[in-house]
Amino acid sequence: MTTAGRRVLPVLDDTPVDHAAAAAAFNADEARVDWHDTALWFMREKRDHAVDLVAEWEDLRELASRIKEHTLSRLDDYLVEFETAATANGVHVHWARDAEEHNRIVHRILEERSVRFLVKSKSMLTEECGLNAYLEQRGLDVVDTDLGERIVQLRHEHPSHIVMPASHLTKEEIGETFAEHLGTPVGGSDPDMLTAAARVHLREKFLAAHAALTGVNFALAETGGVVVCTNEGNADLGMALAPVHIASMGIEKLIPGVVELPVFLRMLARSATGQRVTVYTSHIHRPLPGQELHFVIVDNGRSAQLARPDFWRSLKCIRCGACINTCPVYRRSGGYSYSATIPGPIGSILSPGIDLAKYSTLPFASTLCGSCTAVCPVKIDLDTQLYRWRQIAMDAGLSSRQKRVGARVGALFLTSRPALMFAGRVLRMMQRLLPRAAMRRLSGAWGQDRDLPVPPRESFSAWYQSRRHSGGPHDRA
Amino acid sequence: MTARDAMLAAIRAARPEAVPRPDVRAAVAAFPAIVDLGGAFRAAAEAAAARVISGRRADAAALIASSFSGGGRHVSALDDTTVGSTRQLPHSFDDVELFVCEAELGVAENGAVWLPLSRLRHRSAVVLAQHVMVLLDRSRIVGNMHDAYTIIDVARDAFGAFVAGPSKTADIEQALVIGAHGPKSLTILMLD
Repeated sequence: MTTAGRRVLPVLDDTPVDHAAAAAAFNADEARVDWHDTALWFMREKRDHAVDLVAEWEDLRELASRIKEHTLSRLDDYLVEFETAATANGVHVHWARDAEEHNRIVHRILEERSVRFLVKSKSMLTEECGLNAYLEQRGLDVVDTDLGERIVQLRHEHPSHIVMPASHLTKEEIGETFAEHLGTPVGGSDPDMLTAAARVHLREKFLAAHAALTGVNFALAETGGVVVCTNEGNADLGMALAPVHIASMGIEKLIPGVVELPVFLRMLARSATGQRVTVYTSHIHRPLPGQELHFVIVDNGRSAQLARPDFWRSLKCIRCGACINTCPVYRRSGGYSYSATIPGPIGSILSPGIDLAKYSTLPFASTLCGSCTAVCPVKIDLDTQLYRWRQIAMDAGLSSRQKRVGARVGALFLTSRPALMFAGRVLRMMQRLLPRAAMRRLSGAWGQDRDLPVPPRESFSAWYQSRRHSGGPHDRA
Repeated sequence: MTARDAMLAAIRAARPEAVPRPDVRAAVAAFPAIVDLGGAFRAAAEAAAARVISGRRADAAALIASSFSGGGRHVSALDDTTVGSTRQLPHSFDDVELFVCEAELGVAENGAVWLPLSRLRHRSAVVLAQHVMVLLDRSRIVGNMHDAYTIIDVARDAFGAFVAGPSKTADIEQALVIGAHGPKSLTILMLD
């Protein structure tokens, strides 16, 4: 993969995504694909080891799924309960219908307090909203403090993974970036050395920041508090030091109360990285003395997704990334091939709801193997939803001409027995007579890296008929 | 219509058919219990890269002194008479080498300790300090996170955190590095 060129923020560009073409570009470097595939599968294996130690895992999944479905089924009530409790706790609660409104609210808070310098911890929502660019255009200095996010920010890139933002980069590439920006030795690529350099660099930022923005993992309706989970301590340093703390959250982060919280906390880190729990699980209920605390509640297309009977369950997602790590397509096509804020299976069921024309190829970026559904801690039926989006994309005429014609021709043969029998005979003959190279061309993308199987002499039907009349082994009864 | 009312109206119009709230308490009551709480806690905390030292409550002061050889500025929430963190700017803990505090409880399944603001006194010290030492009464170890949340009152303090091990990252080629932005070490003194 090339490292040159600035990446345009996906949400600001409505060119239709051609996942297959982007995946083909990623696949040009086979050694790199293998490296990426192995690294991501390693996370999946760590998840499996952690999950195997929890006897009640399946019970937790079922509970988590039902809690989220319950919450979503009366989400407006829970949001009001949350707002009431948070306001009583001294928190300023803001509501944003879309990305633009979210960015405007955050900017206004910062501007009114003359904040010039903001530190941020991991927040996929602000990526989705394009907050950094919005604030930078208005003269603010924004520093992402999660190590992976800082790496991609220095490179003018965007996260390629929701849990490990820089998992597409080798340590040598990160070493080059740090040598350029942080003054580490040229050619140095030791992760300990690089992390130590980032520690020094970011500590200055934490101490100098006028405001801290964090994401939210869970919001408790009952108590009006939010929970933020991190490993590095960056969210905690930001919010412990800055006089203004802004927490941005999608409406789907709500859960009813404290009794539900451990169900999710027990599964989040195990699913994400194979840890039993993240290093920091921070509960924020009131501003610290001398501090201001703001919660910004964002819709940005979520209520539209909630209204879709086939897709509202996608909002159960807790952003663990397990579906991404296990996905055979993601592992071999890379996070950027999706050109979406959230890549992988979960992104491919969320993104078409935001812009079907732009993201219509993403539901096809799947083998429908169902591995994502099997590892999802909140039991989202990812493969079913991917399949459903395919049907919608086809019906909307958004698939390629080749695919549409192929499906129509395929339907002709599959609905007529004589036509199917005839086609089978022709194809078996072609496969025997034509050279392999010609068949490969005819078998489309599938055949590019595969040989067609050796054709049988006759159809199954013919084989069966002949056995039946000659008294085969199954006729004895 | 305000953004708030528009959002609530859109959500109300969109929300699916009511799904009942599951009875979490009843469900988790049937989960298997951990028998050796102290042993399980130690194993889980060590897996999270914490150091666990057992001792007696009466020897706590001596244990703290003998368990940290580094010099520099030490701050302890145990014998600090300033209430809350109002007296000092949070940034003033930037040069702290060792921060000592006592946990309200520990969790055997994951090695996490619960540190509410009232125990920390200084919110920033626990992340700014280079090294952190946490006292934990062995009798305050519970089995799993469900047990923990039935005991703690999360909304009592402005802030509270479960902390499991020192800060860490694996953002560079999944190589685990201990000591990301926060403490480089976490020592737990498990006291009888």
